[in-house]
Amino acid sequence: MIRALTTLALLALLAGCATTTPTYALRLEESTLEVREAQTRTLVAPSEIAILTATIAVLQDMEFNVERIEKPLGVITASKITDADSASEKTGLFFLDLVCALGGSDCGAMDSAQDDQQITMTIVVLPSLARSGEFRTRITMQRVVYDKMDRIKVLERIGDPAIYQAIFDNLQKSLFLEASEQ
Amino acid sequence: MNRQTRTTALVAMLLITGCATTPPDVVGAGTQLETRQAQTREFDTLDKAMTMRSVVATLQDLGFTIDQADADLGTITATRLDTYTMRMTVTVVAKTGDRIAVRAFARVGENAITDPATYQDFFIALDKAMFLTQNQVD
Repeated sequence: MIRALTTLALLALLAGCATTTPTYALRLEESTLEVREAQTRTLVAPSEIAILTATIAVLQDMEFNVERIEKPLGVITASKITDADSASEKTGLFFLDLVCALGGSDCGAMDSAQDDQQITMTIVVLPSLARSGEFRTRITMQRVVYDKMDRIKVLERIGDPAIYQAIFDNLQKSLFLEASEQ
Repeated sequence: MNRQTRTTALVAMLLITGCATTPPDVVGAGTQLETRQAQTREFDTLDKAMTMRSVVATLQDLGFTIDQADADLGTITATRLDTYTMRMTVTVVAKTGDRIAVRAFARVGENAITDPATYQDFFIALDKAMFLTQNQVD
């Protein structure tokens, strides 16, 4: 019995120290082409400066802070921290806490409610190699959601094509506005 | 001390020790040459700027956002949030004889990725992006 327990404890210790390397972490997924299409548009603009200015303006419209720009590569990275509070989630967790309290215990379910989220976005704007006056624009986004105790609750890439479409719509409008102001 | 007490003490000590504290791991674990070989590929088709464009496109294909990029120094660092957080640094260096060397390094949390197959997958993805850039498909 003792031997079995010792073995178990040793195994648990080893597992605790084990390194977890994800397999196929850098293999292209089958959906790559589809995702790339949702994240990319070819836009017409009078100049590279014009489209970069319009892109930065859109980021500000969407309340992002620009973190870095590397113009020769057309890379713009921006981020924002917003509220991730969800009323429906909180109602559910409130009732879970209530049930626990009725049973005489404290589950602290409310602590795990979503609180803030940090969204990071990279926009790459590059002149088309095929046609002048056209710019290939690609966006990738991901987010971290924290709970009330500042623990990470969700780590994910944002994949919803509708969100990307909304940003490109805003970018088109921004290009129009910038052009009409000149 | 009987046998049972001794065993219990041993287990308790192991539990307390846990993952033993180690000196700061500054120089890394792998041998320099092997690590370089696994992480590096040379290309003789594109210039440095086009190669960097392709690296950025590959990272985006793989779901990364770019933390920082420097065209002069040929360095790009990117992060991907998944069930784990992966950070990558890719360097693009012009070699003699119109060759470009691309070196990739990835880490998940405290673990450096050492599996050559993972880097192989990255370079397969980069090859595809290079082809698209070179043929001016985009």
